This record gives sequence, C-alpha cells and structure tokens, in this order.
Amino acid sequence: MELKEYFEFLISDYTLRTISIGTAVLGAICGMLGSFAVLRKQSLLGDAISHAALPGIAIAFLIIESKNSVVFLIGALLSGLLGTFWIRGIVNKTHLKSDTALGLILSTFFGFGMLLLTYIQKIPNANQAGLESYLFGQAATLVESDVWLMSGVTGISFIILLLFWKELKILLFDPDFTKTIGFNTKFLDILITSFIVVAIVLGLQTVGVVLMSAMLLAPAAAARQWTNKLSTMVIVAAIFGALSGVIGTGISASSNNLSTGPIIVIVAAIFVLFSFVFSPGRGLLFREIRFRKNRRDLQLHKTLSFMYHIAKDHANISHPHAIKILNNFQGFTRKTLKQLEDKNYISLDGNMWQMTPTGYEKAATLYDQISKSDE
Amino acid sequence: MEDQIAVKIDDLTVAYDYKPVLWDIDLAIPEGVLMAIVGPNGAGKSTLIKAILDILKPIAGSVEIYGKPYKKNRALVAYVPQKGSVDWDFPTTALDVVMMGTYGSLGWIKRPGQKEKKAALEALEKVGMLSFKSRQISQLSGGQQQRIFLARALVQNASIYFMDEPFQGVDATTEKAIINILKELRKAGKTVVVVHHDLQTVPEYFDWVTFLNVKKIATGPVKDIFNDDNLTKTYGINYKVAITQ
Amino acid sequence: MNSAQIEIQLIASLVAIACAIPGTFLVLRKMALITDAISHSILPGIVIGFFITHDLSSPLLILLATASGVLTVVLVEFIQKTGLVKEDTAIGLVFPALFSIGIILISKNASDVHLDIDAVLLGELAFAPFDRITVGTTDLGPKSLWIIGSILITTLLLLIAFFKELKVSTFDKGLAASLGFSPAIIHYGLMTVSSVTTVGAFDAVGAILVIALMIAPAATAYLLTQDLKKMLLLATLFGITGAILGYWSAHLLDASISGSITTVLGIVFLLVYLFAKNKGLISVLYRQKQQQKEVLLLTFLLHLHNHSDEEEERKVAHLNDHINWQKVKSRTVLSLALKNNMITIDNQIIALTDKGKTFTEEAINYIITNKDTEIEKMKDRFFLFRG
Repeated sequence: MELKEYFEFLISDYTLRTISIGTAVLGAICGMLGSFAVLRKQSLLGDAISHAALPGIAIAFLIIESKNSVVFLIGALLSGLLGTFWIRGIVNKTHLKSDTALGLILSTFFGFGMLLLTYIQKIPNANQAGLESYLFGQAATLVESDVWLMSGVTGISFIILLLFWKELKILLFDPDFTKTIGFNTKFLDILITSFIVVAIVLGLQTVGVVLMSAMLLAPAAAARQWTNKLSTMVIVAAIFGALSGVIGTGISASSNNLSTGPIIVIVAAIFVLFSFVFSPGRGLLFREIRFRKNRRDLQLHKTLSFMYHIAKDHANISHPHAIKILNNFQGFTRKTLKQLEDKNYISLDGNMWQMTPTGYEKAATLYDQISKSDE
Repeated sequence: MEDQIAVKIDDLTVAYDYKPVLWDIDLAIPEGVLMAIVGPNGAGKSTLIKAILDILKPIAGSVEIYGKPYKKNRALVAYVPQKGSVDWDFPTTALDVVMMGTYGSLGWIKRPGQKEKKAALEALEKVGMLSFKSRQISQLSGGQQQRIFLARALVQNASIYFMDEPFQGVDATTEKAIINILKELRKAGKTVVVVHHDLQTVPEYFDWVTFLNVKKIATGPVKDIFNDDNLTKTYGINYKVAITQ
Repeated sequence: MNSAQIEIQLIASLVAIACAIPGTFLVLRKMALITDAISHSILPGIVIGFFITHDLSSPLLILLATASGVLTVVLVEFIQKTGLVKEDTAIGLVFPALFSIGIILISKNASDVHLDIDAVLLGELAFAPFDRITVGTTDLGPKSLWIIGSILITTLLLLIAFFKELKVSTFDKGLAASLGFSPAIIHYGLMTVSSVTTVGAFDAVGAILVIALMIAPAATAYLLTQDLKKMLLLATLFGITGAILGYWSAHLLDASISGSITTVLGIVFLLVYLFAKNKGLISVLYRQKQQQKEVLLLTFLLHLHNHSDEEEERKVAHLNDHINWQKVKSRTVLSLALKNNMITIDNQIIALTDKGKTFTEEAINYIITNKDTEIEKMKDRFFLFRG
C-alpha cells in the first residue's frame, strides 16, 4: 500500500483511525514514563512486571469467564504488582541479587500464566479465543472505550508530571539530597512507579506481555541521545513512542497475520539504532569523527610545540631551521608539516621551515595550557 | 566565650542490618567552626552525616539543629553528598543542578523563577563555574562537578553545611578553591562539617576536628586534640601508614 | 507409565540438569539476566537455521542459533561500553528487537514453517518422543534425547575440566587473572555453553521458560547453601523435581508441560524462600526481630558504660527521654538486660554488673575491629535468654 493511500484510508476508516490513535497515545505515555524508568535504572523491572501480569489476565478470565478488557487490566495490575513486591522482598530479605530476582519472577510468573492459558484452551465451550493476543499484542482488538481509557490515563499522568516535575527530577538525580530538603521521597517513588506499572498494563493488549518492556525503554533510550535536558528528553521520547505506535500499527494492519507487538518494537528499535549512530552530540558516528579530529589535532599540536621550543631560543622567531632537526621528534610527517603550513602556523621552504608569528602565538598559548594543567 | 551549639547529638546509635555502625555518639558542634570528621574506612563518618540529616533512621538517640529536631529546622542546613552517589550522565545542565538548591525553600509544586536563577548564577560565579553554566554535567571534570555540588549547597543559603568527602577525586586547584570558600563561610559565622580523608591537611584546613571510629573518640579544637594519642586511638598503632596513604 | 511418558520425563530432567549447571554460575556471577537476553535472541538464529535445514534438530541450526546467542552477548557488551545508555537498558533494548525479528519471520512464513508461536514460547516436549533416530530398523530413541544428552555430557566434561578455574573466576576475578586464567575466555566460554544449552532446551521448553530452568533451581539452591558443589547438586535436584512433578501436574490438568514445570519451580522457590532454615523469610524475620532487640540491648549497655560516672544519664526515665525510645521498647530492653544479669536497678538508677561490663567491652572491641561474626558467638556465651 502506498503511503498516501494509507493516510487517506487512515482518515476515512473508523476502525483504523481508532487503532492508530490508540497506539499513538500508548506510545506517548510509554515514552514519557519510560524516560523515568530508564533514568532510574529500572529498565528491566518493566520486563518483569509485564511478564508477571500474564497469570493475572488468565485468572481474571477464569473468574468472569468472558472477555472484558477492564477486568483483565485489573487482573494484570494485581499480578504485576504482586510480582514487583515479591522482587523487592527477595532483594531485601535474601542475599539473592536483583538480576536473579527479576529473572526468576518474570519467568516463573510467565510460566504459570502459560500453564493457565493452555488449561483455559482445553475448557470446552469457553469463550477464550483471543486471549493469546495478550502474548504479542493485537492492536486490532482495540475499541473506542480502550482508547478513551488510555487517553484518560495519559492525561492524568501528564498533569502529575507537570505538577511534580521539579520534585521528580530531583528525586531521579539525587534521592538523598531530595530527602534532606524535605520532600517525601517515598511518596514520589510510589507515584512514579505506579504510573509506570499502569502504563505497562495499558500496553499489554496492544504490544503484548513479551515485548512490552521494549516499548517502555526504546523511545526513552533513543530520545536520550538527542538532548541533555530532561524535559526535552521526555517530550522527544513521547514523540518517538507515538510514531513507533502509529507506524507499527500501520505496517501490521496492511499485512495479515502479524501481531502488532513485534512490529512496533522493530520500529522503535530502528529509532534507537538511528539515534545511537547519528545523534550529533552523543552518536557513535560523530564521536568517531571528533575522536579522529582530536587525534590529528593532537599530533599537529605536538609537532607545533616541539617547533616552538626550538624557535623560542632564537631572537628571531621566524629564523629558518632545517627539517632534519625535527627527526629527533617522532610525531611528524610530511603531511603534518603540510597541514601546519595550510593553517599558516609555519612556512616551508625546501628543506627548511620557519615559524610564522601566528604559529608562535598559537604554540605559546598551547604551552601555557599544558603547563597549567600540569599544576 | 560560651559558643552557641549548632548541632547537638545525644546517644545516637545507627545500625545497618542490626550491626551497629555508630554507637552511642554524644557530640556537640559549636556554631562557627570548620570541622573535619576523620576516621578509618567503615568508621561511620558518612553514616553520621546521614543520620544527622534524617536520611537514615537511628535506632536510638536524638539530633538537634539549633535546639530543634532536624525536620523543624531543615532550612538551616545544606548538604553536599558524595560525588559518586549520583548519576552524572543525568540529562541536565550545571545551572539546573545548582538551581536544585532552591527547591527546598520553594516547597512542593512551586517552580523556581528569576530570583532563584539569579541566586544560582551568583553561586556559580562564586565557585568559578559561571562560564560552564549550560554545560551538560557529564562533560565536567571531577573537580568541576564537585564545585557544582558546592554551588548547590551555597544556594541553599544555610547556617550549617555538611559535606561528604568534597575533596575526593578533585584536582589541587579545586581543592584550594573549595577550602577557600569553606573558610569564607566560617568567617561569615556559618558552621561547616566535612567528612575528610587526608589527615595531613587537617591542621591546615580545619579549626575543629572529631575523631570517629564507631564510637566518638574525641572532639575539639584541632590545636588541642589533633595529636598522636587520638590518632592512635582512632586508627590503631599503624596510623602513620594511614596518613601517608 | 508408558514408554513415551518415561521418555518425556527423561528429556525434561536432562534439560533441567543441563540448564541448572550454567544457571548456577550465572546466578553467582550476577548475570542471571543475560539468560533473558540469550533465550530471546536465539530465535532469529533458529528461524533462519530452520529455513535452511528444515529440521529443528539439525546441527547447523544449533550452531547458527548458538552464534546468535553469543552475538547478543557481544552486542549487549558493546552497547554498554559506548556508555550511551545504562547497562540494564542495553539488555532490554537488544533482546526484544532480535526476538521481534524472529517472530516476524515466523509469522511471515507461517505456511512453510512448521514452527508456530506457541512452540516458540512453550516448546514441544509432548511431541518429542515421536521424532526418533533410527539406524536401519533399530530405534535409537528420540532425537531430542540425543541432542540434550550430548549437550549435557559436554557441559559436564567442561565443568569437571575447568571446575577450579570457574570457581576462582566466579568468586574472585582479580585472583583468577593473577593466576593466569583469562577472565575473558572463561566469560565467553560460559556464554557459549549457556547459549548452546538454551538452544538445546528451546526445543523442549521454549524461549522464555528456559530462563526459569536456568535461574529458579540455582536461586533456590543459593538460599540453602553457599558451597559451590552443594549448590550445583541442589540446583540439579530442584531442576529434576520441577521436571518430574511438572510433567505429572500437566498430565493432570491437561495443560502445557513446560508451563507446569516452571510453575512447580516457582512453587519450590516460594517454599524454600519462606521456610529455608537460615535464609528463609520466616527465619530471617524472626532473627531480625531477635537481633533488633539484641542490638538495642547492646546500645543500651554501651550507653551505661559510657556514662558510668553520671547518674543522671542512667535513670530509667532517661531511656524515654534521651535515647528516644518508647515505653514498650524500653521495658523490653530493660527486662532483657535484667534477665541476663547485665544490669542492676537501684532506686531507678541503672548500673552495669561486672558481667555486663565485660560483655560490653568485648562487643566494642569486635565492632571496631570489624569482626561482627564474633559478636554472635559472644551472644551464645553470655546470654541466658535471647531477645
């Protein structure tokens, strides 16, 4: 399908429009709250929570024996929270480390959930079709009321973020200090953690329990590369998240047989990859370029300061010297000399070189800097 | 002259996992001193500061700041945590970190405005970091990061300053700059309490010292109590090794 | 029990043992989550291998999948080294992306791949006995038994051959390097073994549940012992218990075998977590309460010791006042001290007995010299009644 066609379809088709708005809102809230998860080093907690939510959904189904996404949400929330508390309990009360606790809870809860799901499948006449969509997500199952719910939660969490922005920022950066100046860190901690859990649970229907954590991390990790400001990071992460949601849904809607979860995750991963490589401040590409340039400059500066030491012993700084005497110094090549000449620091004349006043001045400041940093 | 007591600690005991790290500490810090807390690793120096600041809950004893519990008088206190305790790759600028010093007086929800910004800029200037105000904090050197932390404490505009190892991992220039600012604070009548490692610089930098090793060994003016006897009591007979390290 | 049932239990047990061994080391090395990454990201390797060989148990497929597992570890470490994101974020970014690629490849080619998503998540243990190796007319048994069996034997051989190196490098990296064991070789060796095992187990229990087989038995064992050999044995034991009990409960419920194995492993962990003799929650809570009282007692005795010449500080009322304890707390501490003959109360003024004095002085000495374990022994010597 052509992109243009798709957008026309998007505007005209009610279902697709609903789904797209839903995934966009979901992406936005995940990006927003994911930024906090990433900065608090709770990246993998999301993974554990989302996996731990599966038995909750299955038990909710066993209790009400029909599909109702609000009841499922509550089930998921409860078992996700149970998993989270158990992880905390293991880390606090035993010598097991958090990585073990996370892996243990996510896999055993998930296994229990799968046990229940396969059990449910065998129940005759059960109205169970579609429960599997919680594994990898099926945006197509979103209806308008789901979208309203998501938008409502997103709106509330946005207001909370605005209200407590200053407090949350300082909690993230320096919790001890936050406590000393009189903010209730426990309250703030519970506030942000519960919103993260709610965002995860909201996304289960669309992205699925298996891949939900990526939806939380990827937009935030990508956004971090483009800015050094928390507010910008949160906004950019929300935009990346929304875009991943919409584009992912679009691709999955245009071809059959594809769960939305994996596609959205791939789109988000592409944002991450692109950001890692091409972001101007932190990106690997520009870092490499800067690194090479610095190394070249360092080479030039070394040569220049060596020349400076020779030149400054003469009354006339532009006194010509033989290139030969630079041989004691390993760092120079014809090329570096040429570059120094291009920068107008020295002038070359056959086998002789002489320093220009500009070069002398430059070398003198370099020398000062070096001796200062040696102090 | 009877000095006023800035911080009064009574029978303070703190335990981690039911192992006492501070044991029955009685300590009075007079107003206007520049005090070092010294002691071997694991002596509970940082713990003492954290217990005073109500970050850790003691299992016994009490702390008073100018005669009131910490909660009532926290506006009088500024705190510089160990540099390593925070994530320096956090997306924020030097100015922003310094502004955080004003958050306490602002209270919940209220945002910093022009007045707070002006105070933060002044503090940055005082620590010689004004030209770095828009720098991302990860791009600062260790010494510069420590200066930013000091500026944040200055903005708090307190009467008592607690600093946890401010000289760790900083260059010599920064160390001098920091100690000069601390001496200025003392001149202005403020009380400064510093967890300190380098025993050699104690007589030069500080006028008051507390020896700590789980229990309080001694406290008082440097010129009176900074001697072999107390050093041995605190560090054991090999304390000279501790000094040269 | 028919022969298929026995075979399934045998395969499940072998998988459990094969997972428990590398799992133990991963848990000890605080790298448990790398199994999360490996088990997800071998999927594209498996799918691509399957496109080429059309055989889930072909050696080429195992090789490809193992390679993608090791590649994941390298990729995660590379991202960590760039410092662009925090360490755990690196894991969290890599495996969902690779897993998604695998899932999409499967869904896109659903018609010609006999690999469905259920099999990816749950494995196909129930069908394992039907895919057999036959030479001529002789039936050599199920293929998966051979695969997991050879992986297990290799793992065991490596474990025996490099036990010392593994042990030293797990508990003391610095020492290992100074003894000339390259930490990198041991690290990547362990990663390779984990990847191979994960691939072998994938067939039986699926991508996510293999994490449970790696971590849960080892974590459970770690709550019971700190000794490496015992821990390996216990983990193996728990793994086998999970496999066999899991099989029969699945049989009973008519539900997924691997889901059921994982659930049993989870329950076993829960039981040990609650009831283990020393590290279990109940005994920890009990001991904490006891220790809390005893540390209060110590505090109190030291206070008396410090103020032996100031009567004012030793008044009963002072407990509430200065030490900041509530009435109940002070009463328990006082009575514990009295019961143990550490103090005497005379006219509302408390004084240390000689026994109390000796006890306090010894305790101070141990704490200042960082010999906390001695204090517990000392408590046994001095206390008539524990807290």
